[in-house]
Amino acid sequence: MIALARVRVDAEKCVGHGRCYVLAPEVFEEDERGHCIVIEEDVSEALADEARKGERNCPEGAIRLER
Amino acid sequence: MADDPEDLPHFNLFSEEFSRCPQAVYREMRAACPVTRAAITESLVLSRYEDVAWALRHPEIFSSAMDLQVALGTERPMIPQQIDPPAQTRYRKLLDPHFSRRKMEALIPSIRANANALIDTFIDAGECEFDEAFAIPLPCTAFLDLLGLPQEDLALFLELKDGIIRPQKAQPDLDFEGAQRVRVESGRRIYRYFERIIEERLREKTPREDLLSSILSAEIDGEKLISTEILDICFLLLLAGLDTVTATLGCNIAYLAANPDQRRRILEHPELLPGAVEELMRWETPVTAVPRLVKREVEVGGTVIAEGELVTLLIGAANTDESHFPEADRVDFERERNIHMAFGAGPHRCLGSHLARMELCAAMEEWHRRIPEYHIKSGETPRYSPGIREVLYLPLVWER
Ligand code: HEM
Ligand code: SF4
Repeated sequence: MIALARVRVDAEKCVGHGRCYVLAPEVFEEDERGHCIVIEEDVSEALADEARKGERNCPEGAIRLER
Repeated sequence: MADDPEDLPHFNLFSEEFSRCPQAVYREMRAACPVTRAAITESLVLSRYEDVAWALRHPEIFSSAMDLQVALGTERPMIPQQIDPPAQTRYRKLLDPHFSRRKMEALIPSIRANANALIDTFIDAGECEFDEAFAIPLPCTAFLDLLGLPQEDLALFLELKDGIIRPQKAQPDLDFEGAQRVRVESGRRIYRYFERIIEERLREKTPREDLLSSILSAEIDGEKLISTEILDICFLLLLAGLDTVTATLGCNIAYLAANPDQRRRILEHPELLPGAVEELMRWETPVTAVPRLVKREVEVGGTVIAEGELVTLLIGAANTDESHFPEADRVDFERERNIHMAFGAGPHRCLGSHLARMELCAAMEEWHRRIPEYHIKSGETPRYSPGIREVLYLPLVWER
């Protein structure tokens, strides 16, 4: 599959609101503290939409999608 | 307090009118000036999203170490709310794993069971006063389960918590000094209650699975917590974990009772409920504000704020700011981007946010399953408390 975007989380900014792993559970998951871990760094089209939901709804602006 | 460079406009954030319908006032405040003043407390108020978010993320300037300024009957700062990073971070590392979404899921079945047991007691009457009948008792069971405390202690718990948060509830004609006396006395009793529980736990040979036992044995950087630290955590959990959920449930149901079209959307499309809970958290923002103490001079939107000023970060106003929420005055359960800060932001992000979100969804689901059609009793008006927006009086009726 062709990767469309690379998902990055800035661990310094993430404080564990959990919006990302609730809205896009196929892309993000929680670590022990409830902070964000990226499951799929390189995402294809379908998952890129999911990833974007997480990015758009993170109150800390901790998630970035790189093309 | 430093001289005010400008004559800043004052707004009263402690009136009942404000609590019932704060959104119009928020708009005026954001438009007036980036920095305003609160009547009565004279603290400065930040109300734009950008400024509130920035302040929440800069604890080295906007400090939470203000146990001496905010007198709540405590003898020491509450942990972790009234301490700053990096000390605060150590505590959060220890506490966060016990409040993760995964852990909190285990409490949901008992929340649903409790919701149904409560509904059973009044459904046939065709009416209830929502606060007393549902919103106050609902979060308590889960809370006692979480800490591992006996359910029989519920009544005592509620009394002690109200003694701190609303001393006037039991004794309506208390003056300020009287209220403060009740706070200090309730504070002492809370410390004593938890001291006794902690001693009992330490004597037990086999550790239990609950939160209290976990924090008793947990270590940060190889060191165990001392008993005053544990007390200061318990004290905060009691103040932070009950009224907030009560208030949010009240605000949400009051909104849905007054807006039947929105309520029917949830009934017809139950999958909208989690989005509805988020959007109502944004729109209602039951915890309207959090306080901070300025550690060094800082400029916000052209106003210089001096060291030592008390600042109110008006989260409710930030959450209705057009610059971050297009059509901010529209309550849209399918809002594409909802970056509200109703649970705070930055290092002090609500420790209980995962529990609270799941509790709210479960409770609202059960309520609407059992009582889908309801409205506010005709001729009556809901009454909101100042501060945390608890709907103290919410008379509801439905077809039997
Ligand atoms: C809908 C319900 C709730 C709302 C709206 C809410 C709101 C908030 C807010 C705005 C803060 C940030 C305070 C600050 O920055 O100074 C906070 C912190 C906190 N909340 Fe909640 N809360 C809720 C439920 C809960 C529950 C259920 C618990 C515990 C069982 C809890 C425990 C805490 C704790 C311990 C903190 C302090 C965190 C820290 O300072 O690091 N909250 N909450
Ligand atoms: S939404 Fe943002 S802050 Fe919250 S867990 Fe995800 S990345 Fe972290």
